[in-house]
Amino acid sequence: MAANDSSESTISRLEGARKLALSDSVHYPAIVQGVAPIIGQGAALDLRRWGADFLAETYASPAFAVEEKVKLSFAALPILKAYLEADDQDDAVVKSSVQAATSMYPLVFRHTIYTPTDITTWQNMAAIKSSILRRMDSAAPGVKLCCTKFIQRVIQMQTPGVISDPRRPDQNEISLSLVPRDHPLIPPSTLEAEALGLLDRLLDVFQNPAGDALQVTATLNSVGVLVRTRASIANRILNTILSFDPFRLAYSGTMDAKTKVMVKSMERTLKAFLINLNKRNPTNPMAGRIQGHLDRLAQMHNDAFDTTGRKRAAPLEPPDGLDPSKRQRLAIDAFGAPALPPGPVSMAQLFTLTADDTTKGFNVQTIPFNMVNRIVVPLLVSVNQDQLTNAVSIVKQRLQDLSGSSSATAIAQALTGAGQGLDNGTNAASDQLMNRMEAGPVATDRPPEVPTGPFIIPQPPPMEDYEVTDFGKEMVLRIFGMVETSGETALFKMPTKGFNRVAGSNYDRDGWVTIAVRLATRTTTGLEASGVKEEDGSSGGPAFSLATEIRNVLHQYVLSDFRRRIGVAISWLNEEWYNDRMRSRSDADAAGSYDGLVLRLLDGMLPYLDAKDKVLIRFLSEVPAVGPALLERVKRLAVDPERVALAVNAIHYLVLFRPPVREICIDALEDLWHNYEDARGASAKVLAKWRPEVLGEAAPQAKVEEAKPEVAAKMEVAA
Amino acid sequence: MSTDPRLARARQAAASATPPPPPPPATGVPDTTTQPIALDGANDAKDADVSPPESFKLRFCTVCASNNNRSMEGHLRLSAANYPVISFGTGSLVRLPGPSISQPNVYNFNTSSYETMYNELDSKDPRLYRANGILNMLERNKGIKWGPERFQDWKVGAPRIPKHESDQGSRGSEAGTVDVIITCEERCWDAVVDDLLNRGSPLNRPVHVFNVDIKDSHEEALVGGKAIVDLADNLNNAANAERVAHGSEGWNATSGLGRQSFDSRVPDILGEWQERWPQFPALWTLAWL
Repeated sequence: MAANDSSESTISRLEGARKLALSDSVHYPAIVQGVAPIIGQGAALDLRRWGADFLAETYASPAFAVEEKVKLSFAALPILKAYLEADDQDDAVVKSSVQAATSMYPLVFRHTIYTPTDITTWQNMAAIKSSILRRMDSAAPGVKLCCTKFIQRVIQMQTPGVISDPRRPDQNEISLSLVPRDHPLIPPSTLEAEALGLLDRLLDVFQNPAGDALQVTATLNSVGVLVRTRASIANRILNTILSFDPFRLAYSGTMDAKTKVMVKSMERTLKAFLINLNKRNPTNPMAGRIQGHLDRLAQMHNDAFDTTGRKRAAPLEPPDGLDPSKRQRLAIDAFGAPALPPGPVSMAQLFTLTADDTTKGFNVQTIPFNMVNRIVVPLLVSVNQDQLTNAVSIVKQRLQDLSGSSSATAIAQALTGAGQGLDNGTNAASDQLMNRMEAGPVATDRPPEVPTGPFIIPQPPPMEDYEVTDFGKEMVLRIFGMVETSGETALFKMPTKGFNRVAGSNYDRDGWVTIAVRLATRTTTGLEASGVKEEDGSSGGPAFSLATEIRNVLHQYVLSDFRRRIGVAISWLNEEWYNDRMRSRSDADAAGSYDGLVLRLLDGMLPYLDAKDKVLIRFLSEVPAVGPALLERVKRLAVDPERVALAVNAIHYLVLFRPPVREICIDALEDLWHNYEDARGASAKVLAKWRPEVLGEAAPQAKVEEAKPEVAAKMEVAA
Repeated sequence: MSTDPRLARARQAAASATPPPPPPPATGVPDTTTQPIALDGANDAKDADVSPPESFKLRFCTVCASNNNRSMEGHLRLSAANYPVISFGTGSLVRLPGPSISQPNVYNFNTSSYETMYNELDSKDPRLYRANGILNMLERNKGIKWGPERFQDWKVGAPRIPKHESDQGSRGSEAGTVDVIITCEERCWDAVVDDLLNRGSPLNRPVHVFNVDIKDSHEEALVGGKAIVDLADNLNNAANAERVAHGSEGWNATSGLGRQSFDSRVPDILGEWQERWPQFPALWTLAWL
């Protein structure tokens, strides 16, 4: 027990030392030198394990400086060599030793490059290397794993890499490129040949049909750095990997849980490896092939795993071929209707089309009515037409046979003596149920228990006129409800769409307005009596007119906020005008609604216009037609001294920009000049340009005369 | 005040399992130099070392997206079972649910502690974050370690002793290396494998990377935590069995790699485990640290 205690206490003390090194890597050299004698090959197994592990950890530690590691390897290499060449080897020790050697190899390699005189160190390393390579094929899987990694590291060192900065050798990646051609210890050509041989051994795992997932994934996860940094061998590695089929194990039939894990593992690792390559360097020459392979892998995944997900096929022979209930029902039995027994037959017998006793014995009346109601319709829908015809023809045949035979009385009895017949008739299967329902009215004068025939909803009572009107109004209001609730801004965004827009194609406010307007103007055109003058809408005739109603609502809609809804008014009036045109084309004396509507709208607006309102000018310039009546309304504005300028400006605008109505506008101005005292000054300015003779014939005022030349000049500039 | 009952349990377990303090650091540098002489005598006895094989522990690492829910549940369970364990997240940021799905609470990895997250969320809307379990979760996490760490920023092999010494599961994971990584989502597994490929395996150390697909909810995390411990137990038993089978006993220290055929048994173990836990689809690969 003393030995036990001492071993344990030794290890706990070693652990203390290890913690010290972990907390500050400065202590590593001293500690490694210190523990070297304790953990040597002669030590107890657990001490050796601890030692090997500690060395592996030391050489892996990123905290421990590289230069120190190199110095330390003079002491560590003999220990590792002893571990690896010992007679009684423990796998744990060997595994950790291989790991330590893997980390140490690049350091020793570089050390040897720059100090070719240090033969011992390299010889130790070379001995370790050959020892590791020797055990590669026979070692336990865990050790083999680490050997794989060692080989990968050796290949990485012994193939040429890229020298990024020749001036700073310590910054460069350690590779064959650093080795001078005439190096006495490590001739580059030999090393490279060795590396290529090792590469073949490394890649062997992909050709192994056994498909050891552990080795495959370990290799895949380690060769990535070779593909990235060693151009000379990257293609070879990639080609091997791309020809590797991770689903190989899946093809051998059923997979147990382990195989599934291994196949999935290899597939996903391969995928991760390829994706990583393409992600790091999307422009590499193999990127296309890699992407293709990834797609193929997805396909193969489906192929490999689908078969396992499928149900097994139905057996060719039923398990119990003799039991009819176990037999697959491939088709409904053909109507092998049993022949009727000789002599009198009951109604039930007449309609019985099956030989199956259980079906015959089934009492339909046990099914509750609500259930029957639910069953019957789907059943009728699913009836096979051929079967039905067949069944009907069989029954017909029977009836004919019966009536042809001497037992006509029997059938007569069967048909009229409903009581008995019906009771028996209920013993029928679902097919017969339908037949019975067909036969029911014939056989009995009782009302059918199950209502048949189409159900017709009674006609609603005719609507009263006021109802029609109310509903119509409600409908119109709902359309405008849509106008109100749909998007506010949509109306003013329309110009962006240009000519490609189709009116009312999108359900914004504009669309709804268009629909409303067209409902008013187009739908009922020509249907209503053309003589009815509904355009002023105020008459409120007895008959409801959709168009009138919509126009009324539109009118109110526009007027309730005419400054913002002037656009709606314009498009409405345009539609009206267009519609009038279309009507007058077919019916020359058809009354137009445009003129009345535009006047009504303007009348609604005029009281609210103030002296500087631009709405009037916009309205007048954009409505499709301007007539004398309209101008008359505008002229009347001039009665109000505050709005004289508004009236004159509006008409002046028309004069300037609406040539077709220029003449009547100038007439209107002339009228203003003659008849409206307040408008005289303003209209004179315009008339001075367009019709100066008017000014001349009347008694001109001096003020106006003076103003004339400069106003005229201004006007010309403006024009 | 409501506390996570699991937290109390874990604390208890941790308290009861707290190992005796390591040997006093009196064995400083001068001591180590004198040790060889003192220990020479001990080398005479090479065998008859009997100590429970359970003393050997694999080192674990749990990984999820934010290092908050699933990986921390795994961390807690594994450390309660006395495994050396560390944990990480693979996301770009720590994301915790906020008042709506588009307003997550976002924190930086490595620099924000569970404590600050807890205090901040507690001041924001204690009712909400208590109701959705976030505060309870953070309270649990506070007791496990300082704050969420990002896997991609993990310096593998860098000693964790001074900074993470008080973390649960720190005993045995001082060297900053692990034997097994368990991720909780395929995305994280992909990220981990990809990151390890990018690192180019500077340590030359094999590591088994598992994925156990756990949904990101408190309930699933609880069940998933159990499943992770089950997997860990099975792996550790296998590793121990190999050590014993190869004639080695007496090993009560924390490190060691003597589990040669253990590696090749991993697919078997995972296959059996998957049959026990079919609801957590598993994935595995052998990568290098």
